[in-house]
Amino acid sequence: MVRKKGRINIFIDMTPMVDVIMLLLTFFMMTTQFRPAESADVTMPTSNSEIKLPESDVMTVLVDKSGKIFLKTDDRTQMLLTRASTDPAEQESFKTLNEGVEIRDQNHLSNLVVRARVANPKLRTVVKGDKDTQYGNFQDVMDTLQRVKITRFALVTELERG
Amino acid sequence: MAGVDLGGGSKKGHGKGQGKKPKKRINVRIDMTPMVDVIMLLLTFFMLTTVFTTPQTMEINIPPENQTQVEVAETMLLTLRVVEDGTIYYNIGVEMPKPIPFSALHQFFVDQLQQKPKLICLLKVNRKGTYDMMVNIMDEINLAGLTRFSLAPFTDADERVIKKVKGA
Repeated sequence: MVRKKGRINIFIDMTPMVDVIMLLLTFFMMTTQFRPAESADVTMPTSNSEIKLPESDVMTVLVDKSGKIFLKTDDRTQMLLTRASTDPAEQESFKTLNEGVEIRDQNHLSNLVVRARVANPKLRTVVKGDKDTQYGNFQDVMDTLQRVKITRFALVTELERG
Repeated sequence: MAGVDLGGGSKKGHGKGQGKKPKKRINVRIDMTPMVDVIMLLLTFFMLTTVFTTPQTMEINIPPENQTQVEVAETMLLTLRVVEDGTIYYNIGVEMPKPIPFSALHQFFVDQLQQKPKLICLLKVNRKGTYDMMVNIMDEINLAGLTRFSLAPFTDADERVIKKVKGA
């Protein structure tokens, strides 16, 4: 004969725990920024450099695997650029600049880069190349930047692990 | 969680005759377990998806177009050439290029810098080489503390030199 143990009814007050969890949840929800969809799928090369990419005043030149080039600016630069333009058709074309526009040729790139720099002089140029892209594609971009006198720029990489 | 006092308190001080019986408090206990479960799930989701890291960048300086000629001593100039298949050739001054594996680069740079602290490095990558290779070599150059470094285009002359080495 086994006698059933008398159950002790324990009631734990969960209120403080819930409060803390709620706080954490709010924090994570507020700080999370879903990564915006990239106009090109780019796998970055790795490096041991520890300089962080600034969050504002950045203009990104994307070079994807096949050598297609996209230009992307932050919202502020895009706004300044649109405001500086007087041509409505051109303003329209800047609308998607913060999502990335495909660059037709090197002249198109140099034109846009110069205008963005005029609109926002604090702009920093970064080049984000796919690791498997041919060096020649990067060299073309570099030559264009050199032509428009941007001799200081940064390459976006991922931190090397191990 | 928070109790709300629905008035009534201010009336207490009034006449005796009006004295109302204090309402009986109904003890409501809400089972919070399902809510906590959902919140926990959300919390885990956000904690796992949040990435605090921002991408790294590597600073690079290129000379302006109207280049002024700088004369350097031949022995101070280290040229690295990367060919199509990723092989690295190095030469100092005008000597013949020699292949070097990527893994040996770091030690090589450190040794060279020790002998010649004023070493200048010129990196030439073939247009058909990969961008990754260039970034990796630049990374090694930065790590070794080689600050006098420049990128140069890989010309036909370089191609011929490498061909000669391969043939020999």
